[in-house]
Amino acid sequence: MAKSTSSDVLTLIRSLRSAYAATPTNLKVVYMGIVGSFPFNSFLSGVLSCVGTAVLAVCLRIQVNKENKEFKDLPPERAFADFVLCNLVLHLVIMNFLG
Amino acid sequence: MAKMLFLPLLILLLFLFECESFSAENPTDRRLLVLVDDLAIRSSHSLYFKFLESRGYVLEFRLADDPKLALQRYGHYLYDGLVIFSPSVQRFGGSLDQAAVLDFVDAGHDLILAADSYASDLIRGIASECGVDFDEDPDAVVIDHVGYAVSEIDGEHTLIAADDFIQSDVILGEKKIEAPVLFRGIGHSVNPASTLVLKVLSASPSAYSASPKTKLSTPSITGSTIALVSVVQARNNARMLISGSLDLFSNRHEKSGNEQFVTEISKWVFHERGHLKAVNVTHHRVAELAEPAMYRINDDLEYSIEIYEWSGSSWKPYVADDVQVQFYMMSPYVLKSLSTDLKGLYFTSFKVPDVYGVFQFKVEYQRLGYTSLSLSKQIPVRPFRHNEYERFIPAAFPYYGASFSTMAGFFIFTIVYLYNK
Amino acid sequence: MHSLFQFFRIIDLAGMSRYRWILALLAIFYSSLSICTASIVRPISESHRSAALELFVPVDESFGSLENTYEALRTLEILGLEKTYDISRATCKAVLETLGSSPSITKDLFYALKVNGILKCQIEAINFEGIASNMLAVLKNANSLPDFYYSIGSLLLIKKHGFEVILPDSDGAFHSIKALSQSDGRWRYDSNGAESSTYAAGMALEALAGIVFLADSEVDQSMIGVVKNDIVKLFDIIKSYNDGTLYFNDKYVHSSDYKSPLEISAAVVRGVTSFAEVSSGKLNIPGNKILGLAKFFLSIGVPGSSKDLFHQIESLSCLENNRIYIPLVISLPGTVLSLTSRDQLKVDVTTVFGAAAPPLSVKLVQAFNSNSEGKPIIENQELHFDKENSIHYLDIASLKMDVGKYKLIFEVSLHNLEDESKYATGGLTSFSAFFTGSIKIDKGELAILNSDGGSAETIEKLDLSKDSFLSLSANHLQKFRLSFQLTTPLGHTFKPHQVFLKLRHETKVEHLFVIDSSARQYKLILDFLGLVEKFYYLSGKYDIELTVGDATMENSFLRTLGFVELDLPEPPEKAAQPPPQPADPYLRYGPKQEISHIFRAPEKRPPKELSLAFLALTFLPLIGFIIGLTKLGVNLKLFPSSPGPAAFSILFHAGIAAVLLLYGLFWLKLDLFTALKALCFLGPFLVFVGHRTLSHLASTSAKLKSS
Repeated sequence: MAKSTSSDVLTLIRSLRSAYAATPTNLKVVYMGIVGSFPFNSFLSGVLSCVGTAVLAVCLRIQVNKENKEFKDLPPERAFADFVLCNLVLHLVIMNFLG
Repeated sequence: MAKMLFLPLLILLLFLFECESFSAENPTDRRLLVLVDDLAIRSSHSLYFKFLESRGYVLEFRLADDPKLALQRYGHYLYDGLVIFSPSVQRFGGSLDQAAVLDFVDAGHDLILAADSYASDLIRGIASECGVDFDEDPDAVVIDHVGYAVSEIDGEHTLIAADDFIQSDVILGEKKIEAPVLFRGIGHSVNPASTLVLKVLSASPSAYSASPKTKLSTPSITGSTIALVSVVQARNNARMLISGSLDLFSNRHEKSGNEQFVTEISKWVFHERGHLKAVNVTHHRVAELAEPAMYRINDDLEYSIEIYEWSGSSWKPYVADDVQVQFYMMSPYVLKSLSTDLKGLYFTSFKVPDVYGVFQFKVEYQRLGYTSLSLSKQIPVRPFRHNEYERFIPAAFPYYGASFSTMAGFFIFTIVYLYNK
Repeated sequence: MHSLFQFFRIIDLAGMSRYRWILALLAIFYSSLSICTASIVRPISESHRSAALELFVPVDESFGSLENTYEALRTLEILGLEKTYDISRATCKAVLETLGSSPSITKDLFYALKVNGILKCQIEAINFEGIASNMLAVLKNANSLPDFYYSIGSLLLIKKHGFEVILPDSDGAFHSIKALSQSDGRWRYDSNGAESSTYAAGMALEALAGIVFLADSEVDQSMIGVVKNDIVKLFDIIKSYNDGTLYFNDKYVHSSDYKSPLEISAAVVRGVTSFAEVSSGKLNIPGNKILGLAKFFLSIGVPGSSKDLFHQIESLSCLENNRIYIPLVISLPGTVLSLTSRDQLKVDVTTVFGAAAPPLSVKLVQAFNSNSEGKPIIENQELHFDKENSIHYLDIASLKMDVGKYKLIFEVSLHNLEDESKYATGGLTSFSAFFTGSIKIDKGELAILNSDGGSAETIEKLDLSKDSFLSLSANHLQKFRLSFQLTTPLGHTFKPHQVFLKLRHETKVEHLFVIDSSARQYKLILDFLGLVEKFYYLSGKYDIELTVGDATMENSFLRTLGFVELDLPEPPEKAAQPPPQPADPYLRYGPKQEISHIFRAPEKRPPKELSLAFLALTFLPLIGFIIGLTKLGVNLKLFPSSPGPAAFSILFHAGIAAVLLLYGLFWLKLDLFTALKALCFLGPFLVFVGHRTLSHLASTSAKLKSS
């Protein structure tokens, strides 16, 4: 029960997280459609940050999900550590490119 | 030992003295060779020669067919200017000939050539190489039945009074020539497409060029197209004066404008007026002093140049309001007039265009009677570096916001994720 | 010319009618040979005097060297201006110095004595005996012409000062100088030199004259006769210009030794006249040559250099008072005479200095019109003499001469017979003169004719005494006709030298037509059909200008007649382009149009409000996320309680926060390298604590799982 609860919660969190990450992307594309891609670098970094976090979130979810056969041996902490590291690197790149 | 040193020292001193004669810093000529048909011209044109000597020129008179004539020795020119007052010479003596005279001019030296009604083919040939075509009929002189000089002893109307001068203070001096110039000689025509030849004195509309003794067939040049005196300023700034009359320079016509005309125009030919030099080209960004090796697009820069005019004895500041600078790459992107501080300094400032490449600062200054200035200085222009772009643009705020909110979300997530039950 | 008189007398004496006309023909032939066409020579006048005052200006009360001083003083003396400058003080001092120091250079002594001769300084103290004996010694040892010349000249001057000078060996000196002479009349400078020169001949003759003057006994007359022959031979090598002036010249040697024809002729004149003074009897030189020399000196006009002026004035003064022939100069003060203002033909006969001539009369022998060659218009008109102005004149109005260019031949005849051997008048002299008058121009007409048969479309009468402003129009099928008549004051048809019609298009292309005369009229017909190509097919307005001019026409004119609007057909493909017109030089050089770069427009930016709105919008998902989390009932239960791991957890999260803040700072201020450097510190720290936290969590969850 706890496990399933936790996995449910995790799933929920994931989906929420994904939704959260995806919306800004759509927003930004809409904005770009209105305004034009003037500071193209900023646009790209904005879009990339959303997309990147979304991707990483999905990766984390895949790795943590116990039903996933490929990642059975992977301890979830390890997956989380990877997630954190990748996010940090992603954010470094985004900050640099933000201009 | 001392003796050995002495000789080279002497030679060096001699060289220094010779260099004093003509140099870019001192453009007025000093030594003139005057070729004459017969040495009595020294006496009949003595006022003109006295004027030249009073301005500091050293004149050397030679007969035009003197067998010892030479303009240069071992590649070094012996004179700074040439005055040819020998209209009837068939062949020059010594090593001088038409090609040698033209080489002399091509080397940047000045020439005064006077023809007359018995001008030989050699003189006509030299003149036509300079861009001036004398009337081909060897007997023709300029006749004007309306604008002639009234005299009791000359009824042919070949001594004409001309007052159609070119409008140029540089060439003719600031004082207006009140009396007309009395001219007796042959007329010439100037190629209309030429940009280097200027008619200084033209005939009146009723003049024509023909022989007074024979009946007239169609004359080849008439009216104001007849040029009586022309000047040529070559691209290397050598100046030439071509006159159809040797009589113009003589002592004979006292109450006319001849003396003033001839002295003023000789001053111009020998570079005492209208000789410009441009020095001290500087450019820098607006707030700085040093000259950068490269500009960035959209920089503000300042450009300045100093222009001086030679006054016969020293360089004086040149004052004009139409000097322009171009910022040029294949075609001028920016062309601006320079403003002056009246002491010879010209400056302006403008913004570098937003096209990058290798540009040139070009100053091309050509005015009637002045030497042409043509300077260019190359300077590259680069685009923005990656860290010179605009930052914190308001239009990009949503993107900034998105990135930071992503970061914030990540942070909260890590906390929540780890400790959620 | 006096030989001509003898000729005529022979004809008269012959009296034989058969031979008279042959002789008359011969006389005419001979007279035509001896006519000199005179250039305009005028005697010495005020302009020479003012030139002398300008050229000879003393500097610091002196004219420079003794030679220059002598030249200046002599010129001013001859021209009557010697009182102008008072330079006696400094110059006399120089003269006294030179004379007192008895120099060995004879030239200085010579000029010092000459200067003193004019200035008459106080020279009692000078030892003339000593100087004279010096000069005699020099003379004895002399072997070059300059030595002879200066020493003899000095001795002559000393004698003129009043001291007795005796020349011991005059014959010997004479012979030594004569030995230097050449067979063609020239002299050599010394016995070593090979070049002979005419200038040296002048010096030699003057020196010989000095010897004859100084000689105590009579010089050998045969020697004098030989010298006279030499003089005649010298005059045989005289050179001449086309206009009858004669001069002496030497071959051009080198510019440093150069002597101009003026100097050489002056030297010869001095020598010959001084020799003529001292020799008895006459020198056999024809008067024409003396007159030719005088005309040479006068034809120079006013020389520009002081030396030339001195030579001119001094030679003329020698010629004025010489024993051979005194030249009389015929001159016309005006050769352009106007019929309208009823000028008089004036002839001036004077000596070279403008002094009055002996009684004589002038006759206009013949007058030829340059048009009608051969037949003289007027013959044998005697000129009247005006005693007050001493000028000979003739009223040309009474002669009924028309306008035109004339050749007038004059002859001077002296009244007294003995004057003929003293004066040279030059025989028949011819002058060219212009008789100008006002030409009447009338019957001017301008017409546009149709090509068929000549029916006129427009005819306009022209008044050519002023500009007209007609406006005509024509097309290429029509013809243009201009006609007018020119008559002289005497009613004959006049043919001027210049009769042009100029048509100028608006683009400044010009066409010139010379108008021919036929019978009594000047007529020009332009057939535009044939001229279409010449006009480069340019249609439009053509300005018409008529120019009529001649040397003898007082009212030559250039008149605009108006314009004609021409309609020409279109140019075909290969038509010639009109010649390019010269660009206005003032426009060519003007400053150019300013150019300023148009920058690329910056991208259209949205208004600020829109950006801020979207900024707010982007934060919404974050807020939504947080709300969602709280809704989901998220909690922090797993937070470790024990302090060690708790600390690590806090540190872990603080580390992450620090990194994120670092990124924020990096974006705001820092550059990449500084950020990376800081990251290097934070990185390992984070890894360390993270590892501890996560391992702790892992062990906790494992424990939970196992339990």
